[in-house]
Amino acid sequence: MPNEPRPVSLRREGDGLRIEWSDGVVTFSTWRRLRSQCPCAACVEERAKPPDPFRVLSPAEVAAGPPAPVAMKPVGHYAYQITWNDGHSTGIYSLERLRQLGEETT
Amino acid sequence: MNPGMPAKLTLPGVKQVIAVASGKGGVGKSTVAANLALALHLSGKSVGLMDADIYGPSVPIMFGLGTVDPQKTPLPLEKFGIKLMSMGFLVDPNQAVIWRGPKVAQAVQSFLSQINWGTLDYLVIDLPPGTGDAQLTLSQSAPLTGAVIVTTPGEVSLIDARKGVKMFREVRVPILGIVENMSYFEDAAGNKTPIFGVGGGLKLALESNVPFLGELPIDPRVAACGDQGEPIVRRFPDSPVARAYRALAAAVAEAANTPPPAPLPEVQL
Repeated sequence: MPNEPRPVSLRREGDGLRIEWSDGVVTFSTWRRLRSQCPCAACVEERAKPPDPFRVLSPAEVAAGPPAPVAMKPVGHYAYQITWNDGHSTGIYSLERLRQLGEETT
Repeated sequence: MNPGMPAKLTLPGVKQVIAVASGKGGVGKSTVAANLALALHLSGKSVGLMDADIYGPSVPIMFGLGTVDPQKTPLPLEKFGIKLMSMGFLVDPNQAVIWRGPKVAQAVQSFLSQINWGTLDYLVIDLPPGTGDAQLTLSQSAPLTGAVIVTTPGEVSLIDARKGVKMFREVRVPILGIVENMSYFEDAAGNKTPIFGVGGGLKLALESNVPFLGELPIDPRVAACGDQGEPIVRRFPDSPVARAYRALAAAVAEAANTPPPAPLPEVQL
């Protein structure tokens, strides 16, 4: 654990999140990708089901438009919690997951 | 904010927050927490002991205390120089606390945030067994210095202690070390007889690559002292068990004497 990369800075850049890591790597993930890969139990279960071709968007989803964070707070020493513009906030993104979801950039 | 997600707490007057945990129940976690707290206090430190076992609090009986009226008696209580907080001060021992997880998390959080701990060198937290709500709440919201994992020597205890190690690793709470309780019985002649197996604590420490903090012998007086409300470290300070606890306190103090992990940076949105 002591040598695992930790975020040095996290900031909004365009339509996504840019993270600079302690090992010098910089990753970028779009908000859309982060929202679609929400690690909360309800979203994980939803993703495990076959896609519903007739799924109807909820009024909150329609009103929210493209996914964007309203808040993003550190959780302990291991994760961040994102509150989304559609009201969803139960996803706790571990550092490992944030690293996996990001694409390496310069 | 998600109601299940506790807010980050700060305890500005408390230098070190040490969680005493185990995967398994019945390994003597509360006994270790109480005696460790007293041993730290006997080394000249100011110490608090928070009983985070909401369903089965043990601190009141171990310190000879009962329920109090929180409107009239300020909390934390103080006994033998230790500041104490427990659900057992608020709920009659004949009553069961029948709560779902979120209420437990709320209670644990209020013990940290609404109790005036004042200035302390160490706040020892006696966790319930398992890897559930209390552990998660503390990991997410309390400024933990680290965790001490208690196990007995046998494999049945190690299976669950490993889960405790795994959980603290997952949430990036430093593991200060493993302590093995009930390691052996020592007779008057000094002969040591292992009762519950040999070497489990050391084995877990080695495989987890964390410090082994020591062995604690079996002594029937440990349980008797707990039942009578005066932990053995204070009641029989010259006993081998009390000496082992003082050595444990020194080892824990040394392990905790490292800079805490830096907080995660805030996000610029």
